This record gives sequence, structure tokens and C-alpha cells, in this order.
Amino acid sequence: MKNSMMSSETRMRYGAAESFATVLLVTLALFVLVPLLLPWMFVFKTQLEYAYDPWGWPKAFNTKNFVDAWNVVQLGRGFRNTLIVCLGSILCSLPPAALAGYVFAKYRSRTTEFLFYAVLVGYFVPTQMVLIPLYKMSIAAGLSDTLQGLFLPMAAFNIPFWTMIYRSFFRSLPNDLAEAARIDGAGHAATFFRIMLPLAAPATVLAALLVFIGAWSDYMLSLIMINDQKLFTMQLRVAQFLNSYGVDRMPRYAAAALISAAPTVILYLLGHRWIIRGTLGGALKE
Amino acid sequence: MKGTADAYAARKPGIRDWRRGAFVALCIAPAFAFLAAFMYYPIVETFRLSLMRSSGLGGEVFIGIQNYVRLFGDPEFLAGLSHVFSWAFWSVLIQLPLAFAVAFSLTFYMNKATGPLRVVYYLANILPSAITAMLGKFVFGPTNGIIASVASAFGIDWLRSVDFLGNPDIAFWTVFTVATWTYTGFPIVYLMARIEQIPREIREAAELDGATGWNYAVRIVLPAVSYPLRILAVLSVVGSLKLFDLPYLMTSGGPGNATVTLGITLYRQGFVNWQYGKASAIGVVIFVLSLAFTVAQFSWRAKEPE
Repeated sequence: MKNSMMSSETRMRYGAAESFATVLLVTLALFVLVPLLLPWMFVFKTQLEYAYDPWGWPKAFNTKNFVDAWNVVQLGRGFRNTLIVCLGSILCSLPPAALAGYVFAKYRSRTTEFLFYAVLVGYFVPTQMVLIPLYKMSIAAGLSDTLQGLFLPMAAFNIPFWTMIYRSFFRSLPNDLAEAARIDGAGHAATFFRIMLPLAAPATVLAALLVFIGAWSDYMLSLIMINDQKLFTMQLRVAQFLNSYGVDRMPRYAAAALISAAPTVILYLLGHRWIIRGTLGGALKE
Repeated sequence: MKGTADAYAARKPGIRDWRRGAFVALCIAPAFAFLAAFMYYPIVETFRLSLMRSSGLGGEVFIGIQNYVRLFGDPEFLAGLSHVFSWAFWSVLIQLPLAFAVAFSLTFYMNKATGPLRVVYYLANILPSAITAMLGKFVFGPTNGIIASVASAFGIDWLRSVDFLGNPDIAFWTVFTVATWTYTGFPIVYLMARIEQIPREIREAAELDGATGWNYAVRIVLPAVSYPLRILAVLSVVGSLKLFDLPYLMTSGGPGNATVTLGITLYRQGFVNWQYGKASAIGVVIFVLSLAFTVAQFSWRAKEPE
């Protein structure tokens, strides 16, 4: 009741200012949205239609551009490679981060605190700095031009952040359950896998989601590690197409862009609350 | 208090629980294996390589600090360095005030429009950079670009003839505009989260005292988020040091060196000219600068009350 009183009072008081601010906010939001919606204007046109009348309404809704993007731009193959990179990245970064985060949260000692800071240092290392050694190593280890050569270092760069998040998540869990399990005779590993890890499911889902989006969107590391066109990820395909045709082949390009942006945008629209909270996690904690 | 520090302290004091130690070691081993292979070792190796003359053909000769000396006489590197700092400067000066204004208005005025708008601003941030670069090229492109098309439709000749990506005096600002479009979403959501932590009672009290929205923003909210704003400033600087995707995809650092960043010079030296030693020296410069700013952030963090 107090709240509703507050807001009607507020509305009277800030009426003009509020309308003004809202109009500005909507205008800014349009600046964000319009470029995102532009590809839809071209994606249903043929190349000829686009060349003669780029801004007109399409004569027919033809979906051939999507098919062409998938086959000619080879997004289909890129999709397979990207998916492997995403899965590899998730599988290689989540388990080490969960295990280490758990130990750093629940087995605290001077040694584990020190090791935690050693992990944390990794969070502040710019990827750019280590590109040359990573590239040389991948050649030496026979991992150059393989998808593992891409997702293994990618996972390593994710581990510090997610160790931090898992640590603070496990710290927020009460110890009673784990102690009860210990009294029932469960060992360290059983307590973790049967009791604590299932309780950390929200952190795990969030980590999987954000690691997926990161791996899906990656450009720089993929550019360095993958030279073989057969192994190009979707983002590399899109960038390659952009470099060779610019925006002259807009309809097909728009289709390629829409396909390769779709998963991140859809995941964001479905889980924006989580995604934003997770992204802020590192910055807001402690 | 005592019980929460270590839930599984050894039950019998005096007897070392080897199972506990083994479990701890096994749990942290995978993370450290990854970090050792892909982070700790490469860091050391970057420092070592930066002191070598080393090319992609193989062979290494120790040359001391000559790579660094040469870098500071290299126009491309110096262009990258100065772009990184002007990039950081303008990010702080333009993106952060914009983000504060948006975050404040979104949290201060709760109505039917501002609710859904919260979701919109971060949307540009979530796009893959290859897509953002494509949209940027598409808006600012020379022939079929949106601005050029609109300008020619309305007969605004001077605007149509502006070469947003090809003119060395303008290209930097074009890329910066696209970056502002995509990156400002983060400070907006971060500041919103911090502003929402300010207790409601403070606003109610301010309103009872007759404070205007402007007064409330400047006297109460701005001081309350001064620490987050400093963090965001540091993140902007560190982000500029790492900047690669957008300028590389939009202009490849060109025309000439007009949009070169440290990330792009490193890429050019390492993977175009195959000068591993010189590229590693650039890596060390990026690392040392971002370390300096991060340490500054932590010393503020330590000083923050509460």
C-alpha cells in the first residue's frame, strides 16, 4: 500500500521529467535495436532485388538465402565445428572449476587459500599476452589446426572465473547436510558428488550457459588456432564472407549473420536475468 | 563462526587425515593442470621470448631488451599504444556518463516502458563480435551503407561522401561508435545492480526533504556508485588494452595505422610477419599495463568502506 502511494505521488512529482527521460530511453533503445533488425529487411530478397532496390519491400518471401548461407557459406560445416568447440569448452572447464571451487570453499587452509589466489591470477591474464606461446605449443603438441587445440586453451581461460563463482556458491551452502552425510559414513568424494554438486546445479547451469555463449562467439582465438578451412567455426566463416564480399552480397550475408547470431540472442532473451547476474558475478562479489 | 571456517576439519586432532589431503589434491589437480599448461607456462615463455630474436622459421638468438627498444621506435606500435589510451580515455568520458544516465533513469522511473527496456540495452553486448562488426560495416559502409543510402535519398551530398571506414581521420571514431553501441550495455547493467542496492528508505527520505530527481542523482546516487564507476573505468582501460575483434574485423587496423590497437600490432607482428620475439614483447607490454591498472583497482577495493 505504501508502495502504490509512493509511486502515484512520485508520478505527480516527476511527471514532466519522467516523460522526458522515458522518451530519451526509448530513443536510445531504438538505436540499439534498429541495427539488429536491419538484416531482416534484406534476408528475404534475391541478390538482384537487393541490387536494384535495396530498401524496398521484398516481392516474395524467399528463404533461399538461408539455404545458401548454410551450404555455400558453409555454415553447416561451421555449425558442426562450433558445436564441438562449445561442448569441449564446457566439458573441460566446468568439472575442474567445480572441483577446485568446492575445495577452496569447504577445505580452507593456508595452503588452499594461497592456491586459490594462484588460480585467481589467471583471471587477470590477457589472452593476447599468451597467444604466441599457445600457438607454438599447439604446433609442438600436434594440436595445431585441430578443434581440441582451440577448446583446451579456451577452457583454461574460463577456469579461473568459474572457480571463483563455484567457490562463492559452495561457501553459501550450509555445512549441516555434508556433516550429516559424513556421520552416515560417506567419504569426501561421495559427499561432494551425491550431496554438494547436485545442490550447485544453478551455478552449473549458469556456467554451462555462459561458457557456451563465449565459445560460440569467440573470434580471436579461433582465428589464431584454426587455419584449415574445413575446421572453420561459424564466426570464422562469417568473417571470411565479410572480408571477401563486404556487404555487396547482403541478402545471403544477412542470412548467415542471423543464423550465427541466433543461439546467443535466443538464449539471452530466454535467460537474460541469469546471464546478466552471472556476468556481473565476478564484479559484484567480494 | 569457528564451525563454518572448515567444515571437514580432521576429526581426530593429531592424526593427519591422509584421505582428506588426497581428496583436496585430486580436486585441484585438473584446474592446475589446465592453468599450468595454458597460462603459467605461456606467461613465462612470453617473457623469455620477448628477449629473443625469434621467427616462425625457428632459431632463437638472445638479444636482451632490443625488442623493446625497437618497439618504441616502431610507428605501428606507437600508434597502437596511443589508440589504446585515447580509446580508454573516450570510453570513460563518453560511455560511463551515458551508462550512469541510463542506469539511473531506468531505476528511478519505474513505468511500463522502462521495465522491458532494461532487457534491450544489454542485447547488443551479447552478440558475437563478428556480427557486431558486420552490422557496423553495414551502417557505415561506403556504397550501400545505411548512412550513405539515407544521405543520397535525401540528397545530403556532404554526408554521402563521408568515408567512415576509409578516411584515416574518421575510421577510429567509426569503430569507437560501434564499440560504444555494443559495450555500453555492461556498465548499464552493472550500475543498475549497484543502484538497486541503495536502500529504498534513502530515496523516500530524500523525497520527503523535497529533493528533485537531479539532486537525488547527483548528491546521493552518484556518490554511492563512485566506487563501481572507478572499477568500470579500470575495466575500460584493461578492455582497451585487449581490444582486437572489432577494429580487426571492421578495418584490419587500417587505413594505414589509423585504427591499430596493441592487440592488432601483436597479431601483425606474430602471425603476419612471424616475428615471435617482437610480438612477445608487445604481449609483455599489454600484460604489465593491465597488471598495473588491476593492482590499482585492488588497492581501491581494499580502501572501500565496509
